[in-house]
Amino acid sequence: MWVIYTLNGLYFAALLFLISLGLNIILGVMGILNLAHGSLYAIGAFIAAWVIIAIGMKVPPFFLYVTLLSGLVLAGIVGFLMEKSLIRFMYKRTLEYQLLLTFGVLMLLEDVIKMIWGGQAYYASAPFDLLGKVDIGGHVYPTYFLFVMAIALIAGLFIWLFMSKTKLGIMLRAISLDREMATGLGLDINRLSTFAFVLGSGLAGLAGALVVPTTPALLGFGHEPLILGFIVVVVGGLGSLKGALVGSLLVGFTRSFGIAIFPEIELPLLFLIAGIILVVKPEGLFGR
Amino acid sequence: MLLNIENLDVFIGSTQILRNISLGVNEGEIVCLLGRNGAGKSSIIKSIIGLYPSRSGKITFREKDITPLSPRKKVLSGIGYSPEDTRIFTELTVEENINLSTWVRGKGEIFSYEKIFAIFPKIKDFLDRKGLNLSGGEKKMVSIARALALNPSLLLLDEAFEGLAPLVVNHFMEALRQIRKLGVTILLGESNVRIVSQITERTYIIERGEIIFEGHPREILENERLLKLVGK
Repeated sequence: MWVIYTLNGLYFAALLFLISLGLNIILGVMGILNLAHGSLYAIGAFIAAWVIIAIGMKVPPFFLYVTLLSGLVLAGIVGFLMEKSLIRFMYKRTLEYQLLLTFGVLMLLEDVIKMIWGGQAYYASAPFDLLGKVDIGGHVYPTYFLFVMAIALIAGLFIWLFMSKTKLGIMLRAISLDREMATGLGLDINRLSTFAFVLGSGLAGLAGALVVPTTPALLGFGHEPLILGFIVVVVGGLGSLKGALVGSLLVGFTRSFGIAIFPEIELPLLFLIAGIILVVKPEGLFGR
Repeated sequence: MLLNIENLDVFIGSTQILRNISLGVNEGEIVCLLGRNGAGKSSIIKSIIGLYPSRSGKITFREKDITPLSPRKKVLSGIGYSPEDTRIFTELTVEENINLSTWVRGKGEIFSYEKIFAIFPKIKDFLDRKGLNLSGGEKKMVSIARALALNPSLLLLDEAFEGLAPLVVNHFMEALRQIRKLGVTILLGESNVRIVSQITERTYIIERGEIIFEGHPREILENERLLKLVGK
């Protein structure tokens, strides 16, 4: 069973990596602690489920997986509207204002989800079912979980290449390192911040879309991923891709093995780890 | 006049940090803002570039009112900024730090690497090094080079000589003279009157957020009261 626990740990880590990567980009580049990040994850899940149910099996299987990108696109659009209409007025405000505003947006988005998709659960298992199962060392394991891990790996590589090799990525890193200097140097902070928020929101939406073939989308779907995403950021450190990866793996494995060995204290254990890191290394394992 | 400031008042929260500042910089000059730490030199420079918004007063650059403009628009209009503590992006390489400025300039005329290397030849040797691994002097060079890459007509240089060894100070003074020869006007924030006297013809003394003197640095060296005031 250890093989399965390890694979499950990697699967949790893959999803958390996508969520925390988005959270990390938004917090690092814009200094915004976005409590509505979980709602963007939920929007990704609902739209992907809705699209998959709507098109059913009328399209070739490959397109069924392409539809998962609808989560990324819609969450990105919602992120764009959020940043343009509300978030940009918070850059110079203190943390309390950001928390109040993004918590308000969280409540608002919950209501919007309820208004559009109602209160029922949306379950779209076709992408999960179609991939079947594989034999790994004598253990049967869903292929879809491996697919999610591969997508997270590709997304991580893409973000790493983007941040280290492209003009846009280097400019975002400069803002994340020293916002005031980047402003004084004439970088287009407003446009770059919008881009960072859209990218971070899109990654949350993608994570939500990837989950929905395995778990039904319900109201309040984004609350737990938000909390776990914050734990990853605390553990891994702000502004570090390596931190997001290691933090996700640590939380993912703790969760997977915690559920198997001591399910009663699985979640408190994660908070304990985050608490210890906050005391011993407040900037996180790889933070600045 | 290239830059003109009239009756500038700047506040941070409810605290007034600059009072009724009026000064001018002519094209081709090296003008210095002289004062002790905390006197208000950096605040004036930050107000010009737009990092500290003014409550009243007017800043004109090339006869155009730039007071309400964003830092980006001020940079694009021809002002470059090298701050007090260099503020190199530590996790970016030297080349990436400088490239940021050329990307900001976009399709506009650029201040080429050749020109930068002519002023600071040593930069060539550590272009691929991260900002984190630079010495104090190297950081200063990169900070000035990064501001120059914006191809400014006015360069705002805050404490360019702070913490440098005497030999390096001479090298930097020579670099500033070269920059001026290339047609770049310099407004320098500095706390050392001996350095100021070797490089500028016109100096303003700042004390507690106010300008209390304007004249040749020689006048300061010959005046005990002013010398005591600037602390050197």
